[in-house]
Amino acid sequence: MQVHIQNLRVSYLEENHSLLALDRLDLTLHPGRITAMVGESGCGKTTLGKAIMGLLPDNARLRGQILLDRDNVPDLDEARMNTLRWSTAAMVFQNGTATFNPVHRLVDQVAEPLVLKGTPRKKAMAKAVDMLAHMGLAPEMARRYPHELSGGQAQRGLLAMALILDPPLVILDEPTAALDAMTKAFIARVIQDLRVRGKTILLITHDLDLAQALADDIVVLYLGQIMEHLPGRDLLENPSHPYTLALARAFPAMDAVRDLGGIRGDAFYRMVHAHAGESGTDHVHTHVAAPDSFHQGGHAPPRGCLFQPRCTQAVEACTRDEIAIMPSGDHQVRCLRGGIAQLLCFEQVAKSYGPIKALAPTDLTLMAGEVFCLVGETGSGKTTLAMIAAAAIIPDQGKRIFQGRDMDIWVKKEFTSLAPKIGVIYQNPAESVSHRFTVFDIVAEPLRIHKMETRTEKIHSRVLRALSDVRLSTAPEFLQRYPHELNMGAIQRVCLARALVHDPDLLIADEPTSALDPSVQAKVLKMLLGLQIEKGLTMLFVTHNIGLARKVADRIGVMVDGRIIETGPAARIINHPGHQYTKMLINSARGLSDTPQGMSQVYR
Amino acid sequence: MRTRQHKWSRPVFAYLAAALILVYLSYLLPQLLPGDFVTAMYAGADVSLNALQEAELKAYFLDNQTFGEYLGNLVRLDWGYSAAFFAPVSTLFFAALPWTIVLMGTAHILSSFLGFFLGVEAAWRRGSLVEKSGVGTMTVLEGIPEICTGALLLLVFSLHLGWFPAAGAQTAYAEQTTFQWVLDVLHHLTLPLITLVAAYFPGNFLLARAGMVMVLKKQFVLTAKAKGLPPGRVRYAHAARNALLPLVTRFGLRFAFMVTGALVVETIFSYPGLGTLLFNAISMRDLPLIQGIVLFASLMVLVVNLCMEWVYTLLDPRVSHAS
Ligand SMILES: Nc1ncnc2c1ncn2[C@@H]1O[C@H](COP(=O)(O)OP(=O)(O)O)[C@@H](O)[C@H]1O
Ligand code: SF4
Ligand SMILES: [Mg+2]
Repeated sequence: MQVHIQNLRVSYLEENHSLLALDRLDLTLHPGRITAMVGESGCGKTTLGKAIMGLLPDNARLRGQILLDRDNVPDLDEARMNTLRWSTAAMVFQNGTATFNPVHRLVDQVAEPLVLKGTPRKKAMAKAVDMLAHMGLAPEMARRYPHELSGGQAQRGLLAMALILDPPLVILDEPTAALDAMTKAFIARVIQDLRVRGKTILLITHDLDLAQALADDIVVLYLGQIMEHLPGRDLLENPSHPYTLALARAFPAMDAVRDLGGIRGDAFYRMVHAHAGESGTDHVHTHVAAPDSFHQGGHAPPRGCLFQPRCTQAVEACTRDEIAIMPSGDHQVRCLRGGIAQLLCFEQVAKSYGPIKALAPTDLTLMAGEVFCLVGETGSGKTTLAMIAAAAIIPDQGKRIFQGRDMDIWVKKEFTSLAPKIGVIYQNPAESVSHRFTVFDIVAEPLRIHKMETRTEKIHSRVLRALSDVRLSTAPEFLQRYPHELNMGAIQRVCLARALVHDPDLLIADEPTSALDPSVQAKVLKMLLGLQIEKGLTMLFVTHNIGLARKVADRIGVMVDGRIIETGPAARIINHPGHQYTKMLINSARGLSDTPQGMSQVYR
Repeated sequence: MRTRQHKWSRPVFAYLAAALILVYLSYLLPQLLPGDFVTAMYAGADVSLNALQEAELKAYFLDNQTFGEYLGNLVRLDWGYSAAFFAPVSTLFFAALPWTIVLMGTAHILSSFLGFFLGVEAAWRRGSLVEKSGVGTMTVLEGIPEICTGALLLLVFSLHLGWFPAAGAQTAYAEQTTFQWVLDVLHHLTLPLITLVAAYFPGNFLLARAGMVMVLKKQFVLTAKAKGLPPGRVRYAHAARNALLPLVTRFGLRFAFMVTGALVVETIFSYPGLGTLLFNAISMRDLPLIQGIVLFASLMVLVVNLCMEWVYTLLDPRVSHAS
């Protein structure tokens, strides 16, 4: 069965506004293919499932088409729709046990549709018992009442119930939520088996691992709009939309290595309502609001990108233009910038200090919003590369593109507009601050040097904000302290505040925590990652410690002797390193033999 | 099987013990009252006792029968003698009991079934004009006490229009075929029955509707719809079945307090049931009769409670036997 959804729009009427749950959704589900739908809760996934089943509640309003082969669901009368339900389209609803009627036995509920379609009762019961057995539930289990089943057993029962009429379309809503690994694996096998048998499958899930493992196509939904449509294999490793990246990063994948990041900002929802505008007349409009801030923060514009308030790479046009979904390779992306943007791009960039080749000609790309970790031994050229990225060193050759502009020209012609976009934390905190400066002066330095701010009170407020961002005191006494009065952790935080005081887009952190003891290091790192997500920073993180890189990176690049020998998603580099040297780094970090000291000679 | 017995025996024993305690209290009652109880009882009443009756009564209450003897007498239906009615208490009791059962039983069953079905259908049509006006009407009706409805019906249909008899449960001393007798009984039953149904139905309706509205929001109702079941089956086999419990509880409670529940209506219509009997016994301060009826009424509460526990386990598998 082919399901063809066109221009589907569902809203829920509330007392004085309505809630736009799905907006102009286009989607085709094919027989023998698994389409997974992912997105935060409240983005409209279940609404779509119910819409296909013709089961939206009374307060829902639907526009558009849902074609089940030739039947258009919104046009069908209730009687006709009822004949399609379960025999043509069945749905496994979310939250297992609550889906069953508590007063009827499991087997009765599974057999019920058969009986009503005319199968003799005895035969229907036998078939139901068989189906339950097929799902791994013994006959004595079949006689139980729903409250006597565990979550996993209930889920198996739900699958049996959904498949009892052998429907060509199966919708699964969070089928593995809160289940143990064994049951999860079993259910994954059942779903795969359904695909082999040519069923059309819509898999709604939070579990990105499952989606990636099972799905042929993945649809990423945000506030009722499809943000990206991508092949299943690309979900975790090669997303195109900033939201997909954020989702993937927030998800505790089995082989994810980076400590859990979040998605910055709040979850929002969309409402459509009318109230008096400035002219005094009511006007109907859509806007995006956080769940419990009714009109706070004013009205977001009805046009533009829905993800804009949380996006790490938003530009001014994002709040203005209507954004259509567009192809990008074999993905389809709804983004003005064509998906995750490149923030910085090196083409054959090289640098020598006299006879020493600090950096061989190198290509490197930093994507907006990601944390890229550069790993390598001391002397491998990491700092050189980082400082070239920071526009602090001029390379001998090659091209640097920053936010789409040639960096060399930008540096020469307009450094004052480039400088505020980059923040740097230098390798040695104690040495990177002047000992004659107070805390206040240290943090205020970038603002003053680049003349980004001249009004004293503005400087003051920005310094205070930066200090409180890094959880330092903002008391006047503290502002007048000198670096030698502070401990190492505090100095490092002061440096971080200095790097962030001018709200940069790119943060370059060169061994920011190597001078700290482990407990302080953990704290500072956690704070740094928190800030990265909250402010949507792109980060180039330099470290000699691959164990540390594993905890912070989205992508890792490994450097040896002025060359990047390997780059890739952190999970892949750590779990399946491609290069001999990387393997050795990892092993030594795990405390195995083969220390990498001096081994770089071998790979020259 | 053994575990099942074990599960069952516990509540039954508990109820037996409670029943014994009740009987014992009723046995102690006359002795607990101070002074010469027979004189005190009948002093202000309309009953004039001759010397012999007084002596008999005093003997009955003061002859210090043991609890065992009292219990034996209870079982032998020897519940004493009503001086007010000049008849044994048990005779009076069993003459009144059937009428109360007919009246109250019919009223409860009618009001519960009607309330359930209409409540379920109303909830299903939630938000419609019919439902809204139904709920409004029932809320108003629920506030009207049965004494008002009863008095009004009596006044209009019996005393003024003369369509229905004003007293009794059947026409006395009439030569009737069985069929005529049944019609006669129904004729007498009509007004008190309508009064009671009018009193009980609105509450049942509102309760059933509220329960059903809650159940209709449950996930499993959506599942039932998704399964393509006919609407009637979704409504009754899946939804209403889960809204039944509070209604059954209410039915049980009402049934348990049948005698006191009958008091007002039976008195208004002079219906010869236990309610009227109790009313008369109290107004004449006829202690043996009061004692008998009150003991019956309290035992009734126990029996109905025991039955309810059993019915709950039938209705909802989540109610465990042990609790
Ligand atoms: N019956 C309803 N009435 C009003 N709003 C609803 C109703 N059902 C869902 N919504 C709202 O619609 C949005 C989408 O919900 P849903 O489809 O359940 O999302 P998901 O399944 O992705 O978590 C949410 O904002 C939710 O609050
Ligand atoms: S770059 Fe703009 S259009 Fe693209 S996701 Fe971010 S806010 Fe939306
Ligand atoms: Mg959902």
